[in-house]
This record gives sequence, C-alpha cells and structure tokens, in this order.
Amino acid sequence: MKAFSPLLLRAGLRYLSRHRWQALLALAGIALGVAVVLAVELANSGARAAFELSAEQLRGKATHRLVAAGAPLADEVYVRLQREPGAPPMAPVVSGWVRVGGQLARYRLVGFDLFAEAPFRAQLAGLSAGGGFVRDWLTQADALVLAEATAAALGVAQGDTLDVIHQGRTAPLSVLRVESGSAAAGQDLLLVDIATAQSILGLDGRLSHVDLILSDDAEQWVRQRLPPGVQLLTVAEQAQGVTRLSAAFELNLTAMSLLALLVGAFLIFNAMSFSMVQRRTLFGRLRAIGVTPRELFGLIMLEAVVVALLGTLLGVLLGVWLAEGLTRLVAATVSELYYNVSVTAVHVELPALLLAVALGLLATLLATLFPALQAARTPALTSMSRAALEQSVRRTIPLWAVLGVMLLLGGLSLALLLPGGLIASFAGLFMLMVGAALITPLVIRVLHAVLARCGLPGLWRMGVRDLDRHLSRLAVAVAALMVALSASVGVGVMVDSMRGAVHTWLGDLLSADLYVAADAFAEGETLPADVVVAVAALPLVAEFSRYRERELPLAGRSVEVIGARLAPPSRQGFDLIDSGATVWDDFDAGAVLVSEPLAYHLGLAPGASVELPASGGVARLGVAAVFRDYASEHGRIFVDEARFRQLWPGQPVHTLALFAADGEVAELRRAVSEAAGRFGLAVTHARAILEESMAVFERTFRVTDVLRLLSLTVAFIGVLSALMALQLERGKEYAVLRALGLTRAQIGALIASESLLMGLLAAAAALPTGLLMAWVLIESVQRRAFGWTMPFNVDGGLLLQTLLIGLLAAALAAVYPAWRGAQRDPAPQLRED
Amino acid sequence: MRRLWAVLLALLVACDGDRRQQEARLSVGEAMGSAADAGFARAFEPRTLRFPEDHGAHPAFATEWWYLTGNLRADNGRRFGYQFTLFRVGLRAGEPPPDSAWRAHQIYMGHIAVSDIDGGSHHSAERFARAAAGLAGARSSPFEVWLGPWSLRGGEALFPLSLAAADDDIGLSLRLQAGSKPLVLQGEDGLSRKSARPGNASYYYSFTRLPTGGELRIGDRRYRVSGHSWLDREWSTSALDEDQAGWDWFALQLEDGRELMFYQLRDTQGRPHAFSRGSLVQADGSSRALLADAVRLTPLRHWRAEDGSRYPVAWRLQVADEGLDLVVRALLDDQLMDHSVRYWEGAVQVSGSHRGSGYLELSGYDQAAPDRRSP
Repeated sequence: MKAFSPLLLRAGLRYLSRHRWQALLALAGIALGVAVVLAVELANSGARAAFELSAEQLRGKATHRLVAAGAPLADEVYVRLQREPGAPPMAPVVSGWVRVGGQLARYRLVGFDLFAEAPFRAQLAGLSAGGGFVRDWLTQADALVLAEATAAALGVAQGDTLDVIHQGRTAPLSVLRVESGSAAAGQDLLLVDIATAQSILGLDGRLSHVDLILSDDAEQWVRQRLPPGVQLLTVAEQAQGVTRLSAAFELNLTAMSLLALLVGAFLIFNAMSFSMVQRRTLFGRLRAIGVTPRELFGLIMLEAVVVALLGTLLGVLLGVWLAEGLTRLVAATVSELYYNVSVTAVHVELPALLLAVALGLLATLLATLFPALQAARTPALTSMSRAALEQSVRRTIPLWAVLGVMLLLGGLSLALLLPGGLIASFAGLFMLMVGAALITPLVIRVLHAVLARCGLPGLWRMGVRDLDRHLSRLAVAVAALMVALSASVGVGVMVDSMRGAVHTWLGDLLSADLYVAADAFAEGETLPADVVVAVAALPLVAEFSRYRERELPLAGRSVEVIGARLAPPSRQGFDLIDSGATVWDDFDAGAVLVSEPLAYHLGLAPGASVELPASGGVARLGVAAVFRDYASEHGRIFVDEARFRQLWPGQPVHTLALFAADGEVAELRRAVSEAAGRFGLAVTHARAILEESMAVFERTFRVTDVLRLLSLTVAFIGVLSALMALQLERGKEYAVLRALGLTRAQIGALIASESLLMGLLAAAAALPTGLLMAWVLIESVQRRAFGWTMPFNVDGGLLLQTLLIGLLAAALAAVYPAWRGAQRDPAPQLRED
Repeated sequence: MRRLWAVLLALLVACDGDRRQQEARLSVGEAMGSAADAGFARAFEPRTLRFPEDHGAHPAFATEWWYLTGNLRADNGRRFGYQFTLFRVGLRAGEPPPDSAWRAHQIYMGHIAVSDIDGGSHHSAERFARAAAGLAGARSSPFEVWLGPWSLRGGEALFPLSLAAADDDIGLSLRLQAGSKPLVLQGEDGLSRKSARPGNASYYYSFTRLPTGGELRIGDRRYRVSGHSWLDREWSTSALDEDQAGWDWFALQLEDGRELMFYQLRDTQGRPHAFSRGSLVQADGSSRALLADAVRLTPLRHWRAEDGSRYPVAWRLQVADEGLDLVVRALLDDQLMDHSVRYWEGAVQVSGSHRGSGYLELSGYDQAAPDRRSP
C-alpha cells in the first residue's frame, strides 16, 4: 500500500474528530465485544485451572496409581509390596470429602505417610523441616496442616481447632502448622496423617490409592505382583473423569463462551459497518475530487486497523477487569458443586488472549472490508447518494437470506441428521445462529411490508418506513439483538426442559417416605449392617428398599452398579424407556436395568448384555430394560440385590428407602433415629432430597443466567450505539421535520417508535431461532454429551419475557437519542447546507 | 552408649534426608533436654537378659538399635566395608489410640552403607517408616527386624541371620553365621553406664565376630564376598550427661583371635570423660572390662569434610596391661554418613603391635551443628 497524501489523512482525521461520538461508539463496540469474549474465556479457564491445580498438587510426581475397582484398596496390598526387595517408590494416600463446620464448600481431607512422600510431593516431605514436627505430626492424633490461603479462608491459625464433618460425625482437628509460600502443601486441602484420615473417613485398613513412580521395568515389576482386583493405572488414565470438572458444567462453560464469541462478533460488525456506511458522503466527495479507488480503500482499511488496535486494546483491559468478577462467580459455583477452589487472581492466559485479540482485529477488518470495497468501487456521484446505497444493500438482502437459509439448514442437518460428535453439534449450532442472523434483514423487510399495509397511525407509519430506509445501518444492530435474545431463549428452554425432566424423574424415583443414609450428601458412605436390620424391622415400616453401590469399569467408562432390593412402589418409580414385557421378572432373575446414557453410548437395548468384573471373574448380565436417568452421564446399572451380593460380596448398604405404614412419617422418623443408636444417621424426607437436588441444579445453571444477562447487556449497548449514531446522522433530517411543523415530542416519539420496532423485530425473529437452538441443544448437544433425552418443555412465560426484554432494551436504548433529537435546535442544522 | 545421640537427633529432625539446613541439626544438649523421655523406662541396674526375647524390641525404652558393621573381601581380593543399622525411636511413651492400625508412637530409621575400599568410594542410604501396619518392626521369635524392604531375619535360634537391604546405588544380601564367639554382655552384666547419674545407662550386648558371606552390589556390579561382622544391640532412654558432646568408638577384630571394643566419651571441651569404657574378648570367648584409665587414645591424623568439620581418622590406641599398642587407620577417609544425622562411620585397618580390622565411629565433630566444640 503506497503512502497516502496528507490531504487524505487529514480528511479522515477531520471526519473522526468532528464525529467523535461515532468514533467512540465504534471503539466501544469493539472493546465490548473483545471484553466479553475474553472475560468468559478467562473465567472458564481460571476455574478449570484452579480445579486441575488442586488435582495436580495431589498427584505430585506420581506416574502411576494403584486402585481397587470401585472400592478402597486393602492396605496390606501396599504393605506387602513395599516390603519386597526392589520395590519402586510408593506413597499410600487416604482421601475423602469432608465439610468444615459453618462452611458450605466441601474440602478434601488427604491423609498421607510423611516418610513415603519425599519422592512424590516435595512440599509435603518438606513439612518435616524443623525440630519436633515429626513427633507432633505422628503422636498428636488430631494434627492438621493447611496452606496459608486455606487457613485464611477458614479463619484459623496455628493451634486453633477446626471441626471436620464426615458422615454426620464431627471430628475436631488441631492446626499443627500453617504452610506458607510456594511450598504451600496444596491449596484447599486438609492434610493429616494417614491414620487420622482412616479414622475420620471410616477407612481403617484401607487406602484410597497408592501413588507410584515407575520406569518401564518397574511397571513390569509391579504388574507381576498385582493381587486380583487391584488395578495399576497411569496418572493420565486416572485423571480422566475423576479429577475433571463434571462434563455438564464444562459443557455449560463452553456453550457460554461460544455465545459470547457470537455476540461479540456481531457487536464489532455492527459498530464498524455502521461507521463505514455513515461516511459514504465523505467518500463520495473524496472520489469526486480525484481520489483513486485504491487510495480510498487503503485509507479506510488503515483507519480500520487503527480503530481495531485501539478497540481491542481497550477490550482486553476491560475484559480482564470483567473477568475478575466473573471468575469469582464461576469459582463460587465450582466450590459449591464440587469442592473448594480458590481463584485468587485472574491469570491472563495466552490462548484466551489470542482468541479475543484475533476476534477484535478480524471482525473489525472483515466488517470494514465490504463497505470499503463498496466505497472504493462505486463511481463518484452515486456513492454520495444514500438512496443508491440502500438500493444496493436491498438488492443483496435476498442473497444474504439465501446464504442464511443454507447455513441454517446445513447447521441443523450437521447437528441433528449427520453422525458426529459434540464438536459437530456445536458447529451446527454456530451455523444455525449465523444463518438466522443473515436472514434477519429479509425478515425486517417482510415485516415492514406487512406493517406498512396495516394502516398504522401517521408517526408509526413513518417509523416503519424509516426503519426500512435505514436498513443498511440498522440490520446489523437488529441481528445482534436477535442473536442475544435467541441464545437466551435457546438456553432458557434447554434449562427449563432439563429442570422439568429432572424434577419429574426425581419425583418418580423418590417415591418412598424416608431415606436413610450415613450422610445424605456425602459419597461412598455405608450403613452398619445391624442398623440396616434394626431399621428395616421397625413395625412402622410398611415396605422398604435397600441399595448397595459400587463403581466398576465397563467399556472404558466408570459405571455405578447398584444392587437393589426394590419394593413394589420403588419399582414404579422407574421410567422405563425401552423394555420387554417381563421386565421385573427378568430383573428378579438377574437381568439388569441400564440407564439411558449408558444405553446410548454402548448401544444397549433389552436383550443385549453387559460384562462386568466380579469377584469370581467376569459376570455377563442380560439387559432387561433401559430407564430414564439424569444421575450420572457415565451410566448406572441396577442389579437385583441377591445377584449383586453373589457377584460383589461384602459391599455394605448405602441407602435405605422406607415406606411408612398409614402415613405415619413423623413417628417412623423418630423410631429410625432411636434404632440407629449412637451411629450418626441422616434421615431425610423425599421432599428434602428433591429440594436439595433441585437447588444443586439451580446452582449449576446460575452462571448461565449471569452470562445470558451479560450477552443481553452487550446486545443492548449495540442497539443503543446504532440508534445514537443514526440519530446523530439524521440531525438534519429531524431539523427539516421540525421546520415542517413536527413538535419536539413528535420527533422524540418518532425515534422511540423506530427503536421499539427494532426491538420487536429482533424479538420476533429471536423466538423461532431460539426454539431451533433449544432443539439442537437438547436433541444433539445434550444427547451426544450425556446420552440422555428429555421432553421439550417450552414455557410461554420465557418467550413472553424474551419479547419484553427485547422491547425494553430497545426502549431504553431510545431514551437518550429521542431526548437529544427532540432537544436540538433545528436552525443551525438547516443553515449548514 | 554409641550412636545414641544420632537417634535422639533423628527423632527431632526425622525425614529430612535431602536437606542440609542448620536448623535441622541439633546439639546433644538440646536432644538430652527433650521432654520425649517422659514416661519411658530407664536402665537403672543390671538385669538378667533373656533370649530370644531380648533380641526383639523394647518399646518401653525410648531408643534401640540393631547395628551391624563388617569388613568383607570379594573373591578377586577387592576389599569392602559395610554398615546396616536399624534404629527404633520412641516418639512418645505408651500405646497410640486404636482408631487406625497406622497410628504409631514409634518409628524406625535405617542406615545402610558400603565402602568400596579399592574403588575409593563410599555409598550410603537412609530410610524411615512408622512402626505400624507392618511397615517396620521387630520380633524375637522367629527373629526379624525390618524397615520396608530392609530386613535382618533369623530363625527360632538367632543364627544364621539373613540380611537384605538395597537402594538405587547399593545392595546387600548377606548371611551371618554364629561363629565360635559367644554373646558378650557389655558393662556390668549388660548394663552400660554412661555417666554418674543413675538411669543414664543402656542395656548393651554384642556378637563380636560373625562369619559373613553373600553378595554385595555397587551400581550394577555384583561381588561375591566373605569376611566378618560385628553386631551390637543396645537400648536405653537417657544416657548422655549434659557435658558430654560426642564419642570415638572402636570395634576391632585382631588377627590373634581377640576383639577389642572401646568408646571414648568426650566432654564439651573435647576432653575424654571418666565414663569411657570398653571390653576385651579373648580368643576363647572370655572377656574383661576396660576402664577409662586402662586405655590411651591419641589422634594421629584428621580428615577435613566439605563443611570444614575435622574428623580424626587415624589413632594410636594403647592398652598397656594387655601389651597392645595399635595404630588404627581409616581404609578410606571419606566414610561420612551424611543424612538426617551426620557422623563418620567407617572401615579401619589395625597395625602396630597387632594386626587386624574393624570399624570406627566418630560423632560430635559436625561443625554445622550448634554448640559443638571439636577437639
């Protein structure tokens, strides 16, 4: 590109300085788009990184892990192995989830053997520096070590007592040391001696796993000595599924960054194309005085680069600031759902930064490219006429719409018809949204044509016509609002459908009056056998069901296998999607019920069979039915209790479901507590479990709500900036109207009516788009990610709400422009020409 | 008395193997002042030692060890020294709470070393484990003391003993026979007094010449070896007085069939202490005690360790009334045991009026430890 003449540069600068508002709006549009994408990306990666860091600190330098399938490992396995000559470095670990008195978040209690740690987690072995520590650590049965940040969060210092709650029992621990600095012994971990962990977690004689550092030779050495039922996994294998965020939450975050990307792109496109379109008069003049198309194109692109760089820079700063609040929110949700992670600072990660910067620059340049080409190509005189421009834009509208329809259909078929994975689903979703956005201008034209025939009152008719007249500038703003609104509808319908499905499913499943467990919301807890017998034998118990759980590997997945003694009313609670005629007879005979996600991923149907590792080798179990299940995306299998006990003996009861005789629930509850004696029991009403489960559900999607709001805000700013710019540009037009006799109020009303129409159009286009999006989300994304289906549940309120939000956004966006348009004195404007 | 301080230090700094921090090293004075002894039994008077029971652990006492050293020779003539020691350390008296089998009030510390005399190198390793859940422990019948994969194992009778221990660098796989020498009770019938204060004493017995054979590994090289070992067994709770800073301990096997053990206690000024003691075992197995004034020790040469500490690695040892005038020289200067506790323990050769071989232990010379005055 050759150097520009000073005149050209001056003309460009002069225009921008005279139209400071427009320059600022373009900058703001770019900055906001970049900021939203960056903030969402940083918040997501921040939460994910914090979660993974905790897991990594736990793993240390271990390369392998010894585990027993689905159950804690007997500690003799470790003791025997470490006594053999030639044994590689090994470290036993006992860990589990606990709550801390007065805290909502869960913490991981980790018990380790200080003497085995040095090769694994230097920071743990390093604890021993300094006199007397080892003695206190081993001989004080309640000794606890925490990282400085954790101690601060819990408000404890050295010497303080911390109550740890597990299985409803409280164990006081005493803070022996608070570790500071980078040697901090694992954030958000409660570190105790392995004996203390066994005692608190009820795992005497058991280990959660054994960490190992193995060369290839050493791996062989260990494999040759593995007792039956013990698996040697690489750390990578182990990490899958266990230490990651739940797939549902992860998917949620991904979907949200996608939405942010889309809205951000539209915002930038809106701002830039608007700024270009408005200047066609200037471009026309420049062409008229002899500026070549090449020079003009260069000038426009140069300006675009400058604006893109400035806007992106602003956006990055704004995005980092925004990310701090958002990260806290995401981290809080992760903490409540999983376990406490603390995100102390936002780390600006390179991939997120690159994505945001690339978006800022590319979207800006792309948005400028077409108008710039257009401006450069058109002959001098026509480029001065707006009518000519609108004419040409209108000609391309059908083309855009055709492209949009193709994209939309392509997206739908990619997501729904063609085979493919989750990525194909998201790609389809993205195509669907872009396609719908491209169709939007045509929709506006069509609706305009319809409205024009409706015989609206004068000012409104004018508004409708103005909208059509200014299509080139308003279409992108309307499309941006439409995208934000439709995403809101799509995600909203998906969440509603899922909420409804989960609620119904839980309501059916939780048919008993009372549920008895060691601790209703902790994992891996069991009931003592005598308590089970005593409770089930209570006279007030009319019926009871009994559940034993065990995690087992099946086709590379970790599947929950539940041995159940199912009372008739409990059987009715299963929503059988696919079953033979003799389901329950088959079940009693040893066939199993498999959950929908498992059936989907493994292609199981009644008549098929599954193979599970059992005590006597591999057990082959026939499938009796597939049931609807949202409890686990990995899959669950119900087996008759008698069969379960043959295959996996020694697994204690986790949960008892009790049906009270004659509805005497309160009486029964008292009797159960008495029968349990000193053992801490959680006796819960079905309703309470349902409520707690739904509360967890709501917490999972709270981030979603916030992000929806955020994208709506951004779209709102988009509409506002488009209206502002339009109003500024049309100052002269309003002056003429004023001169023709329109009152200030009428001018204001005109601007407001145009804005409201934009909102209405955007919302109207958003509803079908949003429903299509929800369809893809439910039928394709959810199915492929989790394997479950759910009935489509459209809440009229949500649709109405979206419509109102669209109108409200438009109305709010019109307030200032309408006020300004009405205030301006027409005389100076008219004198200018 | 030997090595007691090492254990006392170990319990205070345990598991700090890779660190070289000054804070991790404590003076004997500090160790002795520790309240850890509360509740442990003490050695006040001689008692009849009973076997095999007393080969096992005595958890009522704070510290105890099974201490093997020996000089070995490979088939091709290459000379080696080795050390295998398991220390039991009581962190707190009494039984731990029964809520978990991993609870422990006792820990074991293990040191192994191989001196490759002709190769000019010394290799050593350290290991810890709690005395619980089968990770480490000792029992008398059938005899076994172990720490993870390191173990010393006998039968219903103590001998023959099998020793197995290895680390990345070295490996020991040895078999020790009873030989012709009987068990020697040190001090007064096994009670070894270390100072004038009652209770500052240990129970101490030795096997002074155990024919030993087996395999020894350095890196990937394995050697068939044979020679003689010396086993010391000692348990106590409190032994050193406040003014005692360290000791020089000799275990010598002379070619005329006699063995000499002598420890010289040093006070904080580096002067020999009146409670220094020893014993001389005759070729026929009979033995006599050696008092402090019966033995004269003169350092001949010092070796300077990297940290500046000076260790006397050559001595003149005289026992006038036995006609012994010996020169004891380290076979290798650097036989420093640089672990949680730093001391010098190495193979020596005896010349002068009589020839022989043995082991020398030098403690209390570490400059890095505070409150230390080397001679």
